[in-house]
Amino acid sequence: MQTMIRYPLAIAVLVAGVGFNVLADPPPGQVDFGKIAPVPGGEFVEIQIRSNLLSLAAQVVEKQDPDAARLLRSVQLVHVNVVGLTDENRTEMEKRVRQIRHDLDAQGWEHNVVVQEKDGQDVGIYTKTRGGEALAGLAITVIEPKNEVVLVNIVGDIRPEQVAALGEKLDIKPLKDIGAALKDAAPKK
Amino acid sequence: MNPSSLPPVPRRSAGCLWLWGLLAAPLLLLVVLAAGVASCFHLGSDARALRNGLIKSSGVEWRQQIALNAGRLTLGAVRAGLSCVKLDPGARAALQSVRNAGVGVYQLPSGTPPPDRAAMLAAADTAMTARGWERVVGVIDGQDLVTVYMPGKDVSSHRVKCCVTVFDGSEMVLVSAQANLEPLVEYALNQPGLRAQARRLAQR
Repeated sequence: MQTMIRYPLAIAVLVAGVGFNVLADPPPGQVDFGKIAPVPGGEFVEIQIRSNLLSLAAQVVEKQDPDAARLLRSVQLVHVNVVGLTDENRTEMEKRVRQIRHDLDAQGWEHNVVVQEKDGQDVGIYTKTRGGEALAGLAITVIEPKNEVVLVNIVGDIRPEQVAALGEKLDIKPLKDIGAALKDAAPKK
Repeated sequence: MNPSSLPPVPRRSAGCLWLWGLLAAPLLLLVVLAAGVASCFHLGSDARALRNGLIKSSGVEWRQQIALNAGRLTLGAVRAGLSCVKLDPGARAALQSVRNAGVGVYQLPSGTPPPDRAAMLAAADTAMTARGWERVVGVIDGQDLVTVYMPGKDVSSHRVKCCVTVFDGSEMVLVSAQANLEPLVEYALNQPGLRAQARRLAQR
């Protein structure tokens, strides 16, 4: 009798576990760029650094630079996609980027920066806030009509002042600029 | 049944066993040695899976130029052998870091059109994902294909594994390694001027 109860219970727990795993939502700051496949003759770069590697990097710099280690630990994912545009994929990629932007708007992401240059370059920076103090995600979309599409997604618990302070400390201008932009983008308390 | 009525069990004398042992020991040593030497010319199972995936997807015959593998035992022996030799500290740190390393070089026969790198990347992804590895970097640029895979779990500075492939349109180099990064990182962080160099690189 006990066995009769135990097995269905175990199976139910297992199925529920698998179900929760499958249905588990991605972190709120994560953006699904969809499956991007390289096309013949087109440039393709994909970099995906997940929390396991980021914490490894944090372990490495911990003694020398605890601030940098803290920043690395606060990031869960860095995803960069660079796709070269060819006649074959230009229309599809531009359409996809517009769809991603539309989805981000629909999901409540804040559209912070839009730059549309005369040469057709189109940059969008989106942020998703967490609890009024930190950013859960940062998404950057760039369309360079002649060359490429760039998609960047940084997920974590990113505190703008951390990024800015690290930029100041290490005197790295791009980091300082990003930190300043994030500070502006962060909700005011 | 009376136990004393059982037929006597034939017992080998201790001297006979010793003789067998003496004869078998060199044979066993030879087998182990042969297996050790053979393993030096075979890549590890993960690297093999990656190589097979890439080669199969390319649909062409590749020529193996070289395949070398140095495991814990070999590298331990090298480390022990070089412990008394005066070595550059960087080289010593690198030697202390590496726990396992393998390299394979494969070439396309001349005149073979370069295979579809997108298909190669997809096949490599399939092979490595099935083994619990994740692609960290994938680059296709002109004729070149570069991939870097690392295990999805259990990554620590004491135990880092990675598989790297570089294909330039005619030659493919596959490197797999397992390392303890700490000696190397310690050496790197103790280098004067490293911070300034890193800053200069970051500002580019």
